[in-house]
Amino acid sequence: MGIGIIGYGAYLPKYRIKAEEYVKAWGNFSAPGVMEKTVPGYDEDVITMAVEAARNAINCAGIAPDSIGTLYLGTTSGPYGEKPLSSTLLAALTGNEDVRTADFMGSTRAGTSAFLGCFDRIAAEGKGAGLVVASDIPLGPLDRASEHPFGAGSAAYVIGEGAPIAILEGSYCTSIETLGERFRRAGELYTRDLELRVNFMEQCLQKSIHGLLGALNLTPEKVDHLVLQQPDAAKSLKAVGKLGFPDKALGLGMIAAYTGDTGVASPLLSLAHVLDHAQGSERIVVASYGSGSDAFSLLVQDGIVQRRAQSPEVPTFKDYLEKKEYVDYLTYLKFKKYLSTFKS
Amino acid sequence: MGSYISLPSYLNTVDQRYRLVGKSCEGCGAILFPPRLICLECGQRKMEDIKLSGNGTILTYTVIARGGGPTEFDDLQNMTGDYAVALVELQEGPRVVGQMTYCEPTDLKIGQKVKAVFRVLYEQEGVIRYSYKFQPVA
Repeated sequence: MGIGIIGYGAYLPKYRIKAEEYVKAWGNFSAPGVMEKTVPGYDEDVITMAVEAARNAINCAGIAPDSIGTLYLGTTSGPYGEKPLSSTLLAALTGNEDVRTADFMGSTRAGTSAFLGCFDRIAAEGKGAGLVVASDIPLGPLDRASEHPFGAGSAAYVIGEGAPIAILEGSYCTSIETLGERFRRAGELYTRDLELRVNFMEQCLQKSIHGLLGALNLTPEKVDHLVLQQPDAAKSLKAVGKLGFPDKALGLGMIAAYTGDTGVASPLLSLAHVLDHAQGSERIVVASYGSGSDAFSLLVQDGIVQRRAQSPEVPTFKDYLEKKEYVDYLTYLKFKKYLSTFKS
Repeated sequence: MGSYISLPSYLNTVDQRYRLVGKSCEGCGAILFPPRLICLECGQRKMEDIKLSGNGTILTYTVIARGGGPTEFDDLQNMTGDYAVALVELQEGPRVVGQMTYCEPTDLKIGQKVKAVFRVLYEQEGVIRYSYKFQPVA
């Protein structure tokens, strides 16, 4: 018993674009290791994707939506710069308005910030279940390589008391000043990247993961699954290459080859895929990235098997991965509204 | 020409648009969607909120071709082509009209099973209107 994750859910839009479509359009595809990536439908945005993942998580947990007392949403690409996105999300889930809601934005680390913040809140005050949703459709300028990996996806977690499927063993967060990598000035629509030859990610991930393992007195061999922020399908693996994790810890959590960079959703979506397969007493270390890194360790509980069995109607990450429809580059541009000039 | 729905009117329908909240008549048990103040079946006023499942069947549908829809949907039409609007019978009984998504209008069939999903409907005055749409299920 105690506080932990009591339900989780993933969501991927069904459209995909293959690397070769970029090669046809631009002559290259600059997303190492990514073979195809997710594309939202024209009528999908960060909030609609968040609703899908949240409903899956709520169904997995088997709770009434009205029992949610905390709702945190993490994203970098919401449709409003000002106007709470979490209020729309809440209204799509429940009529209960007496809920503490907050939007975490401005960093690919926002999802894990929301996740750890929700754990803190539930541990400190209880007040019903906590729902954390990470949802993102990062947008870049079409004529820059940094746009190539950008996909779309969302993941949601219900945190509360009851029979947890995973408990939080500990966390270690770092915040490091980085400049010139993936930023967006106020009012801008697309991310910028100065493509500096500095490996900020390696610095940040090594610091947070070292810190976490040290604080918990663990060695990399004690970690069954490592789940990382994945800007593409190679960079994060390289960033942790020197840390000595066994190869088997790096399999399940690596999803970017088939999704692209899902931004804020990346680590929590990868975690959902790991939880679809994890067994009791396994240890999962999650590390996000964005001017620093949030690392935390989860201990999977035996109840996870039963929880999965109790909610067979909730689609798994793999279900979403397999349900796909390919689009060409022009359709990609239309669905992501790069060509929309009409404003009503 | 657009079919303008004012924001106050839209806000009054958030529960039905976002979560498919209808009414269940305490007198005769009829289920009403969209929600009503007076039961259409027995005329009495005692009704409870009921959240509908969103699962249903296409009774009929129509395809909106270029120029056929309100201007709010012009960009949708430009970017995705013709779209379908279906009359869906929900499993709880009510019949409801909704836009179809995640499908080509040419692939639709009467009798097709669908489920409601939460989607962007259109944007107006800088404000995004969300609503249910229907998506085919296998």
